[in-house]
Amino acid sequence: MLVADQPVLGIFARDLFPAFVLAAAVAVAVFFMIQRARSGASIPLIRRLPGIEALEEAIGRSTEMGKPVHYIPGLGDIRDPMTIASFAVLSFVSRLTASYDVRLICTNRNPVVYAIAEEVIRQSYLEAGRPDSFNPDDVRFMSDAQFAYCANVVGMLVRERPAAQILYGNFWAESMIIIEQGALIGSIQIGATAQVHQMPWFVACCDYALLGDEMYAASAYLSKEPVMTGTVVGQDIGKYICFVLILLGVIMSTVVGSNDHFLTRWLQ
Amino acid sequence: MRKQGPMIICTLAGLILIFSRYFQVGRDLGMLTTWDRWFMLSSGMAIGVGAINLTILHAKNVMRRTQYWQSSVILLVCMYGYMALAIHQTTGAGIPLWIFQSFMVTANSTLFSMVVFFIFSAAFRAFRIRSREAALLGLVAIITMFGVAPIGDALIPGWSGLKDWLLDVPNMAGFRGIQIGAYLGAFATAIRILLGLERAHMGGGGR
Repeated sequence: MLVADQPVLGIFARDLFPAFVLAAAVAVAVFFMIQRARSGASIPLIRRLPGIEALEEAIGRSTEMGKPVHYIPGLGDIRDPMTIASFAVLSFVSRLTASYDVRLICTNRNPVVYAIAEEVIRQSYLEAGRPDSFNPDDVRFMSDAQFAYCANVVGMLVRERPAAQILYGNFWAESMIIIEQGALIGSIQIGATAQVHQMPWFVACCDYALLGDEMYAASAYLSKEPVMTGTVVGQDIGKYICFVLILLGVIMSTVVGSNDHFLTRWLQ
Repeated sequence: MRKQGPMIICTLAGLILIFSRYFQVGRDLGMLTTWDRWFMLSSGMAIGVGAINLTILHAKNVMRRTQYWQSSVILLVCMYGYMALAIHQTTGAGIPLWIFQSFMVTANSTLFSMVVFFIFSAAFRAFRIRSREAALLGLVAIITMFGVAPIGDALIPGWSGLKDWLLDVPNMAGFRGIQIGAYLGAFATAIRILLGLERAHMGGGGR
Protein backbone atom coordinates (compact mmCIF):
# COMPACT_ATOMS: atom_id res chain seq x y z
CA MET A 1 0.00 0.00 0.00
CA LEU A 2 1.27 3.51 -0.84
CA VAL A 3 1.89 6.00 1.98
CA ALA A 4 -0.66 8.35 0.36
CA ASP A 5 -3.39 5.71 0.84
CA GLN A 6 -2.49 4.86 4.41
CA PRO A 7 -4.81 6.13 7.15
CA VAL A 8 -3.65 9.18 9.14
CA LEU A 9 -2.59 8.11 12.67
CA GLY A 10 -3.66 4.63 11.64
CA ILE A 11 -7.42 5.33 11.93
CA PHE A 12 -8.56 8.38 9.92
CA ALA A 13 -9.37 8.27 6.18
CA ARG A 14 -6.59 10.29 4.54
CA ASP A 15 -8.65 12.22 1.94
CA LEU A 16 -11.14 13.58 4.49
CA PHE A 17 -8.71 14.16 7.37
CA PRO A 18 -8.46 17.97 6.88
CA ALA A 19 -12.28 18.15 6.68
CA PHE A 20 -12.48 16.06 9.86
CA VAL A 21 -10.07 18.39 11.69
CA LEU A 22 -12.07 21.47 10.63
CA ALA A 23 -15.38 19.81 11.53
CA ALA A 24 -13.96 18.79 14.91
CA ALA A 25 -12.76 22.37 15.55
CA VAL A 26 -16.23 23.78 14.82
CA ALA A 27 -17.86 21.00 16.87
CA VAL A 28 -15.60 21.86 19.85
CA ALA A 29 -16.60 25.53 19.50
CA VAL A 30 -20.31 24.58 19.45
CA PHE A 31 -19.93 22.26 22.49
CA PHE A 32 -18.03 24.99 24.36
CA MET A 33 -20.82 27.50 23.74
CA ILE A 34 -23.48 24.96 24.76
CA GLN A 35 -21.64 24.33 28.04
CA ARG A 36 -21.29 28.06 28.56
CA ALA A 37 -25.03 28.52 28.06
CA ARG A 38 -25.80 25.62 30.44
CA SER A 39 -23.59 27.10 33.13
CA GLY A 40 -25.60 30.30 32.96
CA ALA A 41 -22.86 32.47 31.42
CA SER A 42 -23.99 35.22 29.07
CA ILE A 43 -24.48 34.27 25.41
CA PRO A 44 -24.70 36.88 22.65
CA LEU A 45 -28.19 37.37 21.24
CA ILE A 46 -29.09 36.44 17.66
CA ARG A 47 -29.70 39.59 15.63
CA ARG A 48 -33.25 40.36 14.56
CA LEU A 49 -34.44 38.22 11.65
CA PRO A 50 -37.24 40.17 9.92
CA GLY A 51 -38.27 37.10 7.91
CA ILE A 52 -39.05 35.15 11.08
CA GLU A 53 -40.69 38.14 12.76
CA ALA A 54 -42.93 38.46 9.69
CA LEU A 55 -44.35 34.93 10.07
CA GLU A 56 -46.85 36.08 12.69
CA GLU A 57 -47.80 39.09 10.57
CA ALA A 58 -48.36 36.86 7.52
CA ILE A 59 -50.52 34.39 9.44
CA GLY A 60 -52.42 37.27 11.07
CA ARG A 61 -53.13 38.69 7.62
CA SER A 62 -54.47 35.31 6.46
CA THR A 63 -56.71 35.16 9.52
CA GLU A 64 -58.12 38.63 8.84
CA MET A 65 -58.74 37.80 5.19
CA GLY A 66 -60.18 34.37 5.98
CA LYS A 67 -57.81 32.74 3.53
CA PRO A 68 -55.41 29.84 4.04
CA VAL A 69 -51.65 29.86 4.63
CA HIS A 70 -49.55 27.83 2.20
CA TYR A 71 -46.30 26.21 3.41
CA ILE A 72 -43.70 24.42 1.29
CA PRO A 73 -40.90 22.56 3.13
CA GLY A 74 -38.78 22.67 -0.03
CA LEU A 75 -38.21 20.03 -2.68
CA GLY A 76 -35.27 18.35 -1.01
CA ASP A 77 -35.46 14.94 0.59
CA ILE A 78 -35.17 14.16 4.29
CA ARG A 79 -31.35 13.95 4.07
CA ASP A 80 -31.26 17.63 3.13
CA PRO A 81 -30.34 19.85 6.13
CA MET A 82 -32.59 22.59 4.70
CA THR A 83 -35.58 20.25 4.96
CA ILE A 84 -34.70 19.40 8.57
CA ALA A 85 -34.39 23.13 9.38
CA SER A 86 -37.77 23.67 7.75
CA PHE A 87 -39.60 21.40 10.21
CA ALA A 88 -38.83 23.71 13.16
CA VAL A 89 -40.47 26.60 11.31
CA LEU A 90 -43.35 24.39 10.11
CA SER A 91 -43.95 23.43 13.72
CA PHE A 92 -44.03 27.12 14.75
CA VAL A 93 -46.27 28.09 11.83
CA SER A 94 -48.72 25.23 12.45
CA ARG A 95 -49.02 26.10 16.14
CA LEU A 96 -49.84 29.69 15.12
CA THR A 97 -52.39 28.62 12.50
CA ALA A 98 -53.95 26.27 15.06
CA SER A 99 -54.27 29.00 17.68
CA TYR A 100 -55.59 31.56 15.13
CA ASP A 101 -57.89 28.89 13.67
CA VAL A 102 -56.73 29.53 10.12
CA ARG A 103 -56.30 26.83 7.48
CA LEU A 104 -52.76 25.63 6.76
CA ILE A 105 -52.05 23.93 3.45
CA CYS A 106 -48.72 22.12 3.25
CA THR A 107 -47.70 20.77 -0.16
CA ASN A 108 -44.91 18.23 -0.54
CA ARG A 109 -42.80 16.80 -3.30
CA ASN A 110 -41.08 14.07 -1.32
CA PRO A 111 -43.21 11.28 0.17
CA VAL A 112 -40.96 10.87 3.24
CA VAL A 113 -41.05 14.62 3.90
CA TYR A 114 -44.84 14.53 3.40
CA ALA A 115 -45.26 11.85 6.08
CA ILE A 116 -43.10 13.78 8.56
CA ALA A 117 -44.75 17.13 7.76
CA GLU A 118 -48.16 15.59 8.47
CA GLU A 119 -46.94 14.32 11.84
CA VAL A 120 -45.33 17.69 12.72
CA ILE A 121 -48.56 19.57 11.93
CA ARG A 122 -50.81 17.02 13.66
CA GLN A 123 -48.67 17.23 16.81
CA SER A 124 -48.64 21.04 16.75
CA TYR A 125 -52.45 21.17 16.50
CA LEU A 126 -52.59 18.74 19.43
CA GLU A 127 -50.21 20.88 21.50
CA ALA A 128 -52.23 24.01 20.65
CA GLY A 129 -55.33 22.26 22.01
CA ARG A 130 -57.12 22.14 18.67
CA PRO A 131 -56.75 18.57 17.37
CA ASP A 132 -60.17 18.79 15.67
CA SER A 133 -59.03 21.70 13.49
CA PHE A 134 -56.33 19.58 11.88
CA ASN A 135 -57.38 18.49 8.41
CA PRO A 136 -55.14 15.71 6.99
CA ASP A 137 -56.38 16.60 3.47
CA ASP A 138 -54.56 19.93 3.74
CA VAL A 139 -51.18 18.18 4.00
CA ARG A 140 -50.71 17.01 0.45
CA PHE A 141 -48.27 14.93 -1.50
CA MET A 142 -48.38 16.50 -4.98
CA SER A 143 -45.91 14.63 -7.15
CA ASP A 144 -42.37 13.32 -7.00
CA ALA A 145 -41.55 15.01 -10.36
CA GLN A 146 -40.27 18.59 -10.03
CA PHE A 147 -42.43 20.32 -12.63
CA ALA A 148 -45.49 18.14 -12.07
CA TYR A 149 -45.26 19.29 -8.45
CA CYS A 150 -44.84 22.88 -9.62
CA ALA A 151 -47.90 22.71 -11.93
CA ASN A 152 -49.92 21.19 -9.11
CA VAL A 153 -48.92 23.95 -6.68
CA VAL A 154 -49.67 26.71 -9.21
CA GLY A 155 -53.12 25.18 -9.77
CA MET A 156 -53.71 25.04 -6.03
CA LEU A 157 -52.61 28.68 -5.63
CA VAL A 158 -55.11 29.82 -8.26
CA ARG A 159 -57.96 27.77 -6.74
CA GLU A 160 -57.36 28.31 -3.02
CA ARG A 161 -55.73 31.79 -3.21
CA PRO A 162 -53.75 31.66 0.08
CA ALA A 163 -53.10 35.05 1.68
CA ALA A 164 -49.64 33.99 2.84
CA GLN A 165 -47.10 31.71 1.27
CA ILE A 166 -44.04 30.41 3.13
CA LEU A 167 -41.28 28.70 1.16
CA TYR A 168 -38.72 27.24 3.54
CA GLY A 169 -36.19 24.70 2.30
CA ASN A 170 -34.32 23.60 -0.80
CA PHE A 171 -35.67 24.85 -4.14
CA TRP A 172 -34.66 24.71 -7.79
CA ALA A 173 -36.00 26.31 -10.97
CA GLU A 174 -39.65 25.80 -9.98
CA SER A 175 -39.32 28.35 -7.15
CA MET A 176 -39.51 31.20 -9.67
CA ILE A 177 -42.84 29.99 -11.07
CA ILE A 178 -44.33 29.35 -7.63
CA ILE A 179 -43.20 32.69 -6.16
CA GLU A 180 -44.36 34.69 -9.17
CA GLN A 181 -47.75 32.96 -9.08
CA GLY A 182 -47.93 33.81 -5.37
CA ALA A 183 -47.20 37.46 -6.21
CA LEU A 184 -49.92 37.42 -8.91
CA ILE A 185 -52.59 36.29 -6.43
CA GLY A 186 -51.40 38.89 -3.89
CA SER A 187 -49.97 36.58 -1.23
CA ILE A 188 -47.51 37.91 1.31
CA GLN A 189 -44.45 35.73 0.72
CA ILE A 190 -41.66 34.65 3.03
CA GLY A 191 -38.85 32.68 1.42
CA ALA A 192 -35.88 30.93 3.00
CA THR A 193 -33.22 28.88 1.28
CA ALA A 194 -29.52 28.10 1.39
CA GLN A 195 -29.58 27.13 -2.29
CA VAL A 196 -27.35 29.87 -3.72
CA HIS A 197 -28.73 29.65 -7.27
CA GLN A 198 -32.26 30.45 -6.10
CA MET A 199 -31.36 33.23 -3.66
CA PRO A 200 -31.60 36.06 -6.21
CA TRP A 201 -35.22 35.12 -6.98
CA PHE A 202 -36.10 34.94 -3.32
CA VAL A 203 -34.62 38.40 -2.73
CA ALA A 204 -36.30 39.86 -5.82
CA CYS A 205 -39.74 38.32 -5.46
CA CYS A 206 -40.45 37.54 -1.80
CA ASP A 207 -41.56 40.15 0.71
CA TYR A 208 -39.10 38.72 3.24
CA ALA A 209 -36.13 36.47 2.56
CA LEU A 210 -33.89 34.40 4.83
CA LEU A 211 -30.69 33.42 3.13
CA GLY A 212 -27.92 30.94 3.81
CA ASP A 213 -27.18 30.35 7.47
CA GLU A 214 -30.12 32.57 8.53
CA MET A 215 -32.52 29.76 7.70
CA TYR A 216 -30.64 27.35 9.98
CA ALA A 217 -30.62 29.85 12.84
CA ALA A 218 -34.42 30.13 12.79
CA SER A 219 -35.06 27.24 15.20
CA ALA A 220 -32.69 28.75 17.76
CA TYR A 221 -34.20 32.20 17.16
CA LEU A 222 -37.73 30.92 17.68
CA SER A 223 -36.88 28.87 20.78
CA LYS A 224 -35.05 31.80 22.46
CA GLU A 225 -33.26 29.17 24.59
CA PRO A 226 -29.64 30.04 25.52
CA VAL A 227 -28.43 26.48 24.71
CA MET A 228 -29.87 26.67 21.18
CA THR A 229 -28.46 30.19 20.75
CA GLY A 230 -25.11 28.81 21.92
CA THR A 231 -24.98 26.47 18.91
CA VAL A 232 -25.43 29.47 16.58
CA VAL A 233 -22.63 31.33 18.38
CA GLY A 234 -20.42 28.23 18.02
CA GLN A 235 -21.24 28.22 14.30
CA ASP A 236 -20.09 31.87 14.13
CA ILE A 237 -16.76 30.84 15.70
CA GLY A 238 -16.52 28.40 12.77
CA LYS A 239 -16.88 31.39 10.46
CA TYR A 240 -13.92 33.07 12.16
CA ILE A 241 -11.86 29.88 11.68
CA CYS A 242 -12.76 29.89 7.96
CA PHE A 243 -11.93 33.60 7.74
CA VAL A 244 -8.48 33.02 9.28
CA LEU A 245 -7.85 30.11 6.87
CA ILE A 246 -8.88 32.22 3.86
CA LEU A 247 -6.66 35.09 5.02
CA LEU A 248 -3.75 32.71 5.58
CA GLY A 249 -4.33 31.21 2.12
CA VAL A 250 -4.31 34.65 0.46
CA ILE A 251 -1.08 35.64 2.26
CA MET A 252 0.62 32.33 1.46
CA SER A 253 -0.40 32.44 -2.21
CA THR A 254 0.84 36.06 -2.48
CA VAL A 255 4.17 35.29 -0.80
CA VAL A 256 4.83 31.99 -2.63
CA GLY A 257 3.49 33.37 -5.94
CA SER A 258 1.40 30.28 -6.66
CA ASN A 259 -1.20 28.04 -5.00
CA ASP A 260 1.41 25.35 -4.38
CA HIS A 261 2.05 25.72 -0.65
CA PHE A 262 1.51 23.67 2.52
CA LEU A 263 -2.01 25.01 3.21
CA THR A 264 -3.50 24.01 -0.17
CA ARG A 265 -1.58 20.73 -0.11
CA TRP A 266 -2.93 19.95 3.37
CA LEU A 267 -6.50 20.96 2.54
CA GLN A 268 -6.47 18.90 -0.64
CA MET B 1 -40.27 7.01 25.36
CA ARG B 2 -42.31 8.00 22.29
CA LYS B 3 -39.69 10.63 21.48
CA GLN B 4 -36.62 9.20 23.20
CA GLY B 5 -36.63 6.05 21.06
CA PRO B 6 -36.47 7.85 17.67
CA MET B 7 -34.01 10.34 19.16
CA ILE B 8 -31.61 7.57 20.21
CA ILE B 9 -31.91 5.91 16.78
CA CYS B 10 -31.28 9.30 15.12
CA THR B 11 -28.14 9.97 17.21
CA LEU B 12 -26.81 6.44 16.68
CA ALA B 13 -27.39 6.68 12.91
CA GLY B 14 -25.54 10.01 12.84
CA LEU B 15 -22.57 8.62 14.77
CA ILE B 16 -22.39 5.52 12.55
CA LEU B 17 -22.40 7.74 9.43
CA ILE B 18 -19.58 9.89 10.85
CA PHE B 19 -17.64 6.72 11.69
CA SER B 20 -18.15 5.22 8.23
CA ARG B 21 -17.09 8.41 6.46
CA TYR B 22 -14.10 9.71 8.39
CA PHE B 23 -12.63 6.50 9.81
CA GLN B 24 -10.76 4.01 7.65
CA VAL B 25 -12.27 0.98 9.44
CA GLY B 26 -15.77 2.28 8.74
CA ARG B 27 -14.88 2.77 5.08
CA ASP B 28 -13.41 -0.69 4.78
CA LEU B 29 -16.63 -2.13 6.15
CA GLY B 30 -18.58 -0.32 3.35
CA MET B 31 -21.21 0.87 5.82
CA LEU B 32 -22.04 4.00 3.84
CA THR B 33 -23.19 1.92 0.84
CA THR B 34 -25.35 -0.28 3.08
CA TRP B 35 -26.99 2.75 4.70
CA ASP B 36 -27.62 4.32 1.31
CA ARG B 37 -29.39 1.12 0.23
CA TRP B 38 -31.54 1.20 3.36
CA PHE B 39 -32.46 4.81 2.61
CA MET B 40 -33.38 3.95 -1.00
CA LEU B 41 -35.54 1.09 0.24
CA SER B 42 -37.39 3.20 2.80
CA SER B 43 -37.86 6.02 0.24
CA GLY B 44 -39.29 3.51 -2.23
CA MET B 45 -41.79 2.36 0.35
CA ALA B 46 -42.71 5.97 1.15
CA ILE B 47 -43.76 6.49 -2.50
CA GLY B 48 -46.63 4.14 -1.64
CA VAL B 49 -47.63 6.46 1.23
CA GLY B 50 -47.70 9.37 -1.23
CA ALA B 51 -49.82 7.40 -3.69
CA ILE B 52 -52.30 6.53 -0.91
CA ASN B 53 -52.55 10.22 0.07
CA LEU B 54 -53.22 11.22 -3.54
CA THR B 55 -55.86 8.50 -3.90
CA ILE B 56 -57.70 9.46 -0.69
CA LEU B 57 -57.60 13.19 -1.48
CA HIS B 58 -58.82 12.89 -5.06
CA ALA B 59 -61.32 10.10 -4.36
CA LYS B 60 -62.91 12.43 -1.77
CA ASN B 61 -63.01 15.23 -4.39
CA VAL B 62 -64.83 12.90 -6.81
CA MET B 63 -67.28 11.54 -4.23
CA ARG B 64 -68.12 15.01 -2.86
CA ARG B 65 -68.28 16.48 -6.39
CA THR B 66 -66.12 19.42 -5.30
CA GLN B 67 -65.07 22.14 -7.75
CA TYR B 68 -62.91 20.75 -10.60
CA TRP B 69 -63.65 17.14 -9.50
CA GLN B 70 -63.20 16.11 -13.14
CA SER B 71 -59.48 16.88 -12.83
CA SER B 72 -59.30 14.44 -9.91
CA VAL B 73 -60.84 11.73 -12.12
CA ILE B 74 -58.20 12.40 -14.80
CA LEU B 75 -55.42 12.23 -12.18
CA LEU B 76 -56.62 8.92 -10.73
CA VAL B 77 -57.11 7.36 -14.17
CA CYS B 78 -53.64 8.50 -15.29
CA MET B 79 -51.92 7.38 -12.08
CA TYR B 80 -53.45 3.92 -11.85
CA GLY B 81 -53.56 3.43 -15.64
CA TYR B 82 -49.85 4.16 -15.95
CA MET B 83 -49.09 1.97 -12.93
CA ALA B 84 -50.98 -0.95 -14.48
CA LEU B 85 -49.27 -0.44 -17.84
CA ALA B 86 -45.84 -0.21 -16.23
CA ILE B 87 -46.41 -3.41 -14.22
CA HIS B 88 -47.56 -5.15 -17.41
CA GLN B 89 -44.82 -3.89 -19.74
CA THR B 90 -41.98 -2.44 -17.54
CA THR B 91 -41.27 1.30 -17.63
CA GLY B 92 -38.13 1.18 -19.78
CA ALA B 93 -39.83 0.20 -23.04
CA GLY B 94 -43.04 0.08 -25.09
CA ILE B 95 -46.11 2.20 -24.42
CA PRO B 96 -45.06 3.35 -20.89
CA LEU B 97 -41.82 4.77 -22.30
CA TRP B 98 -43.67 6.40 -25.21
CA ILE B 99 -46.19 7.98 -22.81
CA PHE B 100 -43.38 9.22 -20.57
CA GLN B 101 -41.38 10.75 -23.42
CA SER B 102 -44.38 12.20 -25.27
CA PHE B 103 -46.25 13.63 -22.29
CA MET B 104 -44.01 13.96 -19.22
CA VAL B 105 -40.83 15.12 -20.93
CA THR B 106 -42.62 17.66 -23.13
CA ALA B 107 -44.80 18.93 -20.27
CA ASN B 108 -41.69 19.31 -18.09
CA SER B 109 -39.88 21.24 -20.83
CA THR B 110 -42.93 23.47 -21.36
CA LEU B 111 -43.14 24.33 -17.68
CA PHE B 112 -39.40 24.87 -17.44
CA SER B 113 -39.49 27.26 -20.40
CA MET B 114 -42.18 29.28 -18.60
CA VAL B 115 -39.48 30.35 -16.15
CA VAL B 116 -38.17 32.81 -18.73
CA PHE B 117 -41.44 34.80 -18.71
CA PHE B 118 -41.48 34.87 -14.94
CA ILE B 119 -37.88 36.10 -14.96
CA PHE B 120 -39.10 39.15 -16.91
CA SER B 121 -41.76 40.06 -14.37
CA ALA B 122 -39.42 39.35 -11.45
CA ALA B 123 -36.63 41.40 -13.06
CA PHE B 124 -39.06 44.28 -13.56
CA ARG B 125 -39.79 44.34 -9.83
CA ALA B 126 -36.16 43.80 -8.80
CA PHE B 127 -34.74 46.51 -11.05
CA ARG B 128 -37.11 49.27 -9.98
CA ILE B 129 -34.68 51.79 -8.55
CA ARG B 130 -35.97 52.55 -5.06
CA SER B 131 -32.74 52.58 -3.10
CA ARG B 132 -28.97 52.78 -3.59
CA GLU B 133 -28.73 48.98 -3.41
CA ALA B 134 -31.41 48.58 -6.10
CA ALA B 135 -29.59 51.14 -8.28
CA LEU B 136 -26.34 49.18 -7.91
CA LEU B 137 -28.17 45.94 -8.71
CA GLY B 138 -29.66 47.52 -11.84
CA LEU B 139 -26.27 48.85 -12.97
CA VAL B 140 -24.57 45.48 -12.52
CA ALA B 141 -27.44 43.76 -14.34
CA ILE B 142 -27.09 46.14 -17.32
CA ILE B 143 -23.31 45.58 -17.49
CA THR B 144 -23.81 41.77 -17.31
CA MET B 145 -26.60 41.72 -19.90
CA PHE B 146 -24.60 43.82 -22.36
CA GLY B 147 -21.55 41.64 -21.66
CA VAL B 148 -23.41 38.42 -22.47
CA ALA B 149 -25.08 39.82 -25.63
CA PRO B 150 -22.83 40.45 -28.69
CA ILE B 151 -23.89 44.10 -28.76
CA GLY B 152 -21.77 44.84 -25.65
CA ASP B 153 -18.45 44.03 -27.30
CA ALA B 154 -19.62 45.62 -30.57
CA LEU B 155 -20.31 48.96 -28.83
CA ILE B 156 -17.29 48.98 -26.50
CA PRO B 157 -14.54 46.41 -27.21
CA GLY B 158 -13.63 44.51 -24.04
CA TRP B 159 -17.06 44.97 -22.43
CA SER B 160 -17.41 41.20 -21.89
CA GLY B 161 -14.15 41.31 -19.86
CA LEU B 162 -15.86 43.63 -17.37
CA LYS B 163 -18.77 41.20 -17.16
CA ASP B 164 -16.35 38.28 -16.60
CA TRP B 165 -14.58 40.19 -13.83
CA LEU B 166 -17.91 40.99 -12.14
CA LEU B 167 -18.95 37.33 -12.26
CA ASP B 168 -15.59 35.82 -11.35
CA VAL B 169 -14.44 38.19 -8.60
CA PRO B 170 -17.09 40.09 -6.57
CA ASN B 171 -19.94 37.71 -7.46
CA MET B 172 -17.91 34.58 -6.77
CA ALA B 173 -16.59 36.00 -3.49
CA GLY B 174 -20.12 36.72 -2.24
CA PHE B 175 -21.34 33.37 -3.55
CA ARG B 176 -18.66 31.43 -1.67
CA GLY B 177 -19.11 33.50 1.49
CA ILE B 178 -22.80 32.62 1.57
CA GLN B 179 -21.99 28.98 0.84
CA ILE B 180 -19.47 28.73 3.71
CA GLY B 181 -22.06 30.26 6.06
CA ALA B 182 -24.73 27.86 4.83
CA TYR B 183 -22.49 24.81 5.30
CA LEU B 184 -21.62 25.91 8.83
CA GLY B 185 -25.32 26.43 9.53
CA ALA B 186 -26.08 22.93 8.28
CA PHE B 187 -23.25 21.60 10.44
CA ALA B 188 -24.62 23.33 13.57
CA THR B 189 -28.07 21.91 12.77
CA ALA B 190 -26.53 18.42 12.51
CA ILE B 191 -24.90 18.84 15.93
CA ARG B 192 -28.23 20.01 17.42
CA ILE B 193 -29.89 16.86 16.03
CA LEU B 194 -27.10 14.58 17.26
CA LEU B 195 -27.39 16.07 20.74
CA GLY B 196 -31.17 15.85 20.67
CA LEU B 197 -31.60 19.62 20.99
CA GLU B 198 -33.49 19.90 17.70
CA ARG B 199 -36.48 17.57 17.59
CA ALA B 200 -39.02 19.33 15.37
CA HIS B 201 -38.69 16.62 12.71
CA MET B 202 -40.12 14.17 15.24
CA GLY B 203 -43.32 16.17 15.52
CA GLY B 204 -44.44 18.91 17.87
CA GLY B 205 -42.71 21.94 19.25
CA GLY B 206 -39.23 20.63 18.76
CA ARG B 207 -38.00 20.71 22.32
